[in-house]
Amino acid sequence: MEEMVMGNGLVFEYHVHNDRGEVEDTFRALDGVEVEIKKGEFVAILGRNGSGKSTLAKHVNALLVPKAGTLWVKGMDTKEHDNVWKVRQSAGMVFQNPDNQIIATIVEEDVAFGPENLGVEAGKIRKRVDGALAVVGMTEYARHSPNKLSGGQKQRVAIAGVLAMKPECIVLDEPTAMLDPSGRIEVIETVKQLNKEEGITIILITHFMEEAVQADRVIVMDQGKIEMQGSPKEVFSDVSRLKEIGLDVPQVTEVAYMLKNDGISIDETILTVEEMVDAICRLKSKN
Amino acid sequence: MSIEIKELNYIYGKGTPFEKRALSDISLTIDDGEFIGLIGHTGSGKSTLIQHINRLIKPMSGTVCVDGVDINSKSVNLKQLRQSVGLVFQYPEHQLFEMTVFKDVAFGPTNMGLSKEEINTRVKTALSKVGLNDEAFYEKSPFELSGGQKRRVAIAGVLAMEPKVLVLDEPTAGLDPKGRDDILSEIKKLHTETNITIILVSHSMEDIARYVNRIIVMDKGRIELDGTSREIFNNIEKLESMGLGVPQVTYLMKALQEKNIVVEKDAITILEAYEILKELMK
Repeated sequence: MEEMVMGNGLVFEYHVHNDRGEVEDTFRALDGVEVEIKKGEFVAILGRNGSGKSTLAKHVNALLVPKAGTLWVKGMDTKEHDNVWKVRQSAGMVFQNPDNQIIATIVEEDVAFGPENLGVEAGKIRKRVDGALAVVGMTEYARHSPNKLSGGQKQRVAIAGVLAMKPECIVLDEPTAMLDPSGRIEVIETVKQLNKEEGITIILITHFMEEAVQADRVIVMDQGKIEMQGSPKEVFSDVSRLKEIGLDVPQVTEVAYMLKNDGISIDETILTVEEMVDAICRLKSKN
Repeated sequence: MSIEIKELNYIYGKGTPFEKRALSDISLTIDDGEFIGLIGHTGSGKSTLIQHINRLIKPMSGTVCVDGVDINSKSVNLKQLRQSVGLVFQYPEHQLFEMTVFKDVAFGPTNMGLSKEEINTRVKTALSKVGLNDEAFYEKSPFELSGGQKRRVAIAGVLAMEPKVLVLDEPTAGLDPKGRDDILSEIKKLHTETNITIILVSHSMEDIARYVNRIIVMDKGRIELDGTSREIFNNIEKLESMGLGVPQVTYLMKALQEKNIVVEKDAITILEAYEILKELMK
């Protein structure tokens, strides 16, 4: 499979300036990150606040460029100035707060903003906007005002806005942090569908473990480094390590872990309610 | 302090084409010292309701009494009301503005006209209640702190006014699991130690199940359910129809019941689920 994103020895530092504009303190947000994300993959990135997740995400979109090391998006070096627009078109970004990224007064105009800026011709914009709204299931709201929508609907409009630029990769930085339970489900279902049906590479940053278990691969960051990575089963089976880092596991995984510690021979890679039910049924029938 | 709300109604943009009914005939009594979870999907009226409790919004009809006093009567001292009913908004760290952590937390008590010594004591106590007792924090700029720390400073700013009712609107949104657990356990501790009335607004059913005693569920401007956590999370279908849910372990227990694996009671926390299953496996 082809690489969508490739990062080599990535280093990034934030500077704290004093009143005179001199650098007072330096914080290393990325500290030698090696990362590889394949085309069509669905990757979840976990980590504590300040672990470097968002900094890494902003590199994929060339909002930030590494101080050392190189990041390629579809083989394009993000440090090359001429690549910036192409990189941003290939890798779209969706942020946490839907209210900060919706700019137009009508849903379809908001979605058209991206392709308009790319210089797409008018007829094609119409098609792209209609297509993008259909994918996220917001067609019937095309002529509505965005400020009357629910949080989940707003995020879907934001996703449509990115989709209308025909990206091959979408980076979502905690897109569900401000949403209610049904809004979270709406957004994650939309993201999964983009991945499965449209073949779009997904990079999802989240604090919700139930969302991360649905990814193909989970990357755990801590203090600017990649601490763990693997399939959700591989990563979440190491409950004690995740807790050490200050992260969590799904509730059922934790219950299984506690039972296992009591000497009950239950599978420790349980991630979902269904898996837990199966495991308990099997154990009961053995007894 | 107790809160008593009677037949409260509120409409946004009344008389305009954008008229929206936000609260419909809300009647509610919260006793002194209760720890309440307030849940409901976006737009269900939670924020409108809590803003009525310290008169940021005045009711269109109905009454709101705090500690037995109608807060919308002319004689009420607004400043005092807002000291005793502390409101922590969503993303409260956006409201930090002072040069140092200490000054930011001192802002409220200073406006109350307290003595210097009293302000000092209150700031220190408030910061230690949110787990920032290290004096190294006092002189730091609030803007160089981490997200979780900033939020705690903002909460301390409200605590320093020593409110008798504390309302927190999604205090853990956007925080990582450790930051979330830290803040919630500090709030729980605060409740245990001071026994003030706490209202926690949250979209996390897991957190609500773990910390509060009573849950109020809002939908379309009305109170749809009101009861103990266990009673509320028994209504899976109803909660889902309102865009909400139940904790994952509660779903697990329901799935096990459907498979006729005997589960004598419903679990709403990890610990309860673990104990029930441990018993089952014996």
